[in-house]
Amino acid sequence: MRKQTAVFEKEESKVKKFLASLLVMVLSLAVLTGCGDDPDSFGHGSEESEDGDITITMLFSGVATEDDFQTMILPKLIKEKFPNITLEVTELPDDQYYTALKTKLASGECPDIIMVQPKYAGTNSVISLAQAGYLLDLSDLACLDLAGDAAKQSFTYDGKVYGISQGAAMLGAFYNKDMFEANSLEVPTTWDEFLNCCETLQQAGIQPIVMGDKDAYVMQFGLYQIAANEIYPNNPTYDDELRTGETHFTDEGTWDKVLEMYYELYEKGYINTSSLGLGASQAMQMFVDSEAAMTFDGSFNLQGINAAGAVDFERGYFPIPAENGDTYAAMAPGGGPAVYSGTKHPEEAKAILDYWFDGESPVYEAYSKDGNAIVTYGVGSDKNDPIFDTFLDMYRDGKAWYWCNQAWPAGTETEMEALFGSMIGGQGTTIDDITSGMQRKLEELLEQ
Amino acid sequence: MKNKNKKSGMLVMPNRMYIFAVPALLLFSVFWIYPVLQLFYYSFTNFNGINYNYDFVGFKNFARIISEGSLLNSILNTLLYTLIIVVVSNVIGLALAFMLNMGLKGTRFYRTAVYIPALFSAIVVGFIWSYVYMPSSGMVASIVDLFGGEGKWLNLLGNYQTALVSIAAVDIWKNIGTTMIIYLAGLQTVNESYVEAGMIDGCTDWQLIKYIKLPLISTTITINVVLNVIAGLKAFDFSFIMTNGGPGRATNTLMFSIFQMAFNDQMMGKASAFSVVSFAVIVLITIIMLIHMNRKEVEF
Repeated sequence: MRKQTAVFEKEESKVKKFLASLLVMVLSLAVLTGCGDDPDSFGHGSEESEDGDITITMLFSGVATEDDFQTMILPKLIKEKFPNITLEVTELPDDQYYTALKTKLASGECPDIIMVQPKYAGTNSVISLAQAGYLLDLSDLACLDLAGDAAKQSFTYDGKVYGISQGAAMLGAFYNKDMFEANSLEVPTTWDEFLNCCETLQQAGIQPIVMGDKDAYVMQFGLYQIAANEIYPNNPTYDDELRTGETHFTDEGTWDKVLEMYYELYEKGYINTSSLGLGASQAMQMFVDSEAAMTFDGSFNLQGINAAGAVDFERGYFPIPAENGDTYAAMAPGGGPAVYSGTKHPEEAKAILDYWFDGESPVYEAYSKDGNAIVTYGVGSDKNDPIFDTFLDMYRDGKAWYWCNQAWPAGTETEMEALFGSMIGGQGTTIDDITSGMQRKLEELLEQ
Repeated sequence: MKNKNKKSGMLVMPNRMYIFAVPALLLFSVFWIYPVLQLFYYSFTNFNGINYNYDFVGFKNFARIISEGSLLNSILNTLLYTLIIVVVSNVIGLALAFMLNMGLKGTRFYRTAVYIPALFSAIVVGFIWSYVYMPSSGMVASIVDLFGGEGKWLNLLGNYQTALVSIAAVDIWKNIGTTMIIYLAGLQTVNESYVEAGMIDGCTDWQLIKYIKLPLISTTITINVVLNVIAGLKAFDFSFIMTNGGPGRATNTLMFSIFQMAFNDQMMGKASAFSVVSFAVIVLITIIMLIHMNRKEVEF
C-alpha cells in the first residue's frame, strides 16, 4: 500500500513537473509572440508560394464600410487582372494606422503598400518617410502624369515621386442658398463683397458664419483659403523658402495679412462670438438647422453638411474670394498609396498601383464610384457632386493651392490655432504674437 | 522519510516556484521598465518617432520647455485642476457619505444613483457634457434662460476663465461616486460605541463628526485625497475630449501637453523630456503629501 502511494506520489510529482514546465513554456511563448507578429492581423511583407503565386500586403487608413472599396472590391479586382497576385488589405482607423505603421516600419516588417500623406502632412507624410528611406521611387509610373502636376508635386521629394494622390479635397464656404436669395445676395467674388454679404445677413438678424473653434483645427478651413488667395499667388515658393530661411511668417503682407482678414470676421461678429465653446459637429449642426448662413468646411464633410436638419434648404459651396478678386481654391491632393522600399515584389506592387490609377480600369472605375475622394481625371470625373464644379474648374485651370500645413512641419498649425484662439478669446494676443510664435515653432520643428 | 522532508521543504520554501514569476517579470520589464528607461534616454535626443537617425542634444529639450513657458502653464493648470477636484470631490463625497450613512429611506437607490456616472467611459461623459455646456442652446444655457438670465452669453468651455473649472466639474461629477463609496465604507467601520459614548457626554452632532467620526476615518480621507491627487495630476481625458486643450492653452494639462508634443508635433525627444519633468513633479508632490497625511492619521 505504502509502495503504491509512493509510486502514486512519484507519478503525481512528474505530472506536476510536466504541467509546470508546460505552463512556463506556454507563457514564454505568449510573451515571445506578443513581441513578434501575428501574420493574420496585419500584412507583414509579402510571401511567395511554390507555384509562383505571391501575396502583396497593404495597410491603409480608413474605416471599413459595407462593400468597402479597399478591403473588399480592390483585392477582388486585382485578382481578376493578376491571377497570381493576392492582395491582402488591412484597414485601420487613422490613429491606429499611424501607430501600426510606425511599429511596422521600426521593426522592418512593413507591408508592401502603405498610405502616405502629401508633402509634410502628418506622421505618415511622404517626405518624412522618403527621407528616412522607407519608400520606393515611383517616378516611372505612367499613371502619375494623368493626375497632373499639382498631385505629382505634392508627392515629390528630392526630384523623385514617392506616392500617388487619391483624388483631391477642397476647403470652401458652404452657404444656405435660400437665405442668400431671401436677402437678394449673390456669391461674392471679392473680399469686400464677402464682407458686405456678411453685413447684410447680420443686419437681417441672421448669424452670417458659424464655426466650431472648440475643435481648433477648423480655424485652418478659413485661414488656408485666405492664404491661398493672398500669399502663394505673390510667392509660389513661400513655404519652401520658410524652410531655407528666405521667408518668415513674420514677413509683412503675408501671414499678418491673412490673420488680420480672418480676425475681421470675428471682430465684427460675422463669425459667432461663442465659437470657442462650440464643437465642430455642433457648428455643422447649426448650419444644417439654418441657424447660420455659412460655415467654412472641407469637401470631406459634405455628407454631414447635406444631412437633413430642422429646415430644408439648398446648399451651395464657394471659395472665400480674394481681396483683388483673383480667387484661388484651397485644394489639396489627397493622401494615397506608396510602396515600401523593403518590399520583395517591387514590380508587382508598382503594377498594381499603375493599374489602379490608370483612369479607365475596372479598379479605377470602382474607386471613383466609391465616392470617398473627388476624382479629377478618367472615368467618373464627370460624376462628382455638382456642388464642387467651381472648384474643379479652378483646379484644372491651375487656380488652386495646396493646404498650407502640408508644407509645414507638423505642429506649426497647432501653434497657430492656439495663438489665434487666445486672440479671439480676448487674451490680448496680437497678430505679431501669432506670426512670431509660428516662426519660433517652425524653427524649432525644423531643427529636429 | 528523506523524501517527505524534501517534499515538505518544497512546500515551506518553494524555491523553484520563483520560475513562475519569470513570465510576469519578463512582461513587466519588456513593456514597462524598459520603455520607462528608454524615455529617459530619448529625453536627450531629438527623436521624432519615425526616423532613427536622431542626434543627441544634451539638455536642450529641457531648456526649451522651461524657456517657452509651456511647462509652467501646464503645471499651473494641472495644479489648479488637482486642487479643485481634491477639495470639491472630497467635501461633496464626504457630505454624501454622511447623508447616506444616516439610514434614510431609499439609501440603496441614492447610493446607486451617485455611483452610476463612474461606470461610463470618459469619452461618453465628455461628449454628453459638451452638449450640456454648448453655448446658447445647451442645457446649462437653457436653464439660465429659464430663470430669466442671458444664457446665450454663457460660453463656459470657450472662455479662458471658466474652461478649466468647467472640465474639472465634469471630472468631479463623474468620479464623485467612487469617492463617496470609499467614505461610506470608512464610516461603516466606525464603532458605534464611540459615538454613543460621545452622545452620553452630550456632544452635538457637529462635535460627533468633528471629534469622533472624522478622526476615525482619517485613513479613508488619506486614501481619497491621494487617489484624487493622482487623478488630478494625470488629468487628460476631459481636456482631450471636451476642449482639446483650448481655448488657446487654457486647459493644457501636463499629460495633454505631452500627448500633443509627442503625437501632434512629433517631437518625441521633447515630449520625453517633458515626461521626465512631469514625473519628478508628480513624485515630489505625492511624497510631500503622503508624509504630511500620514502624520495626521489617528489609530485606535
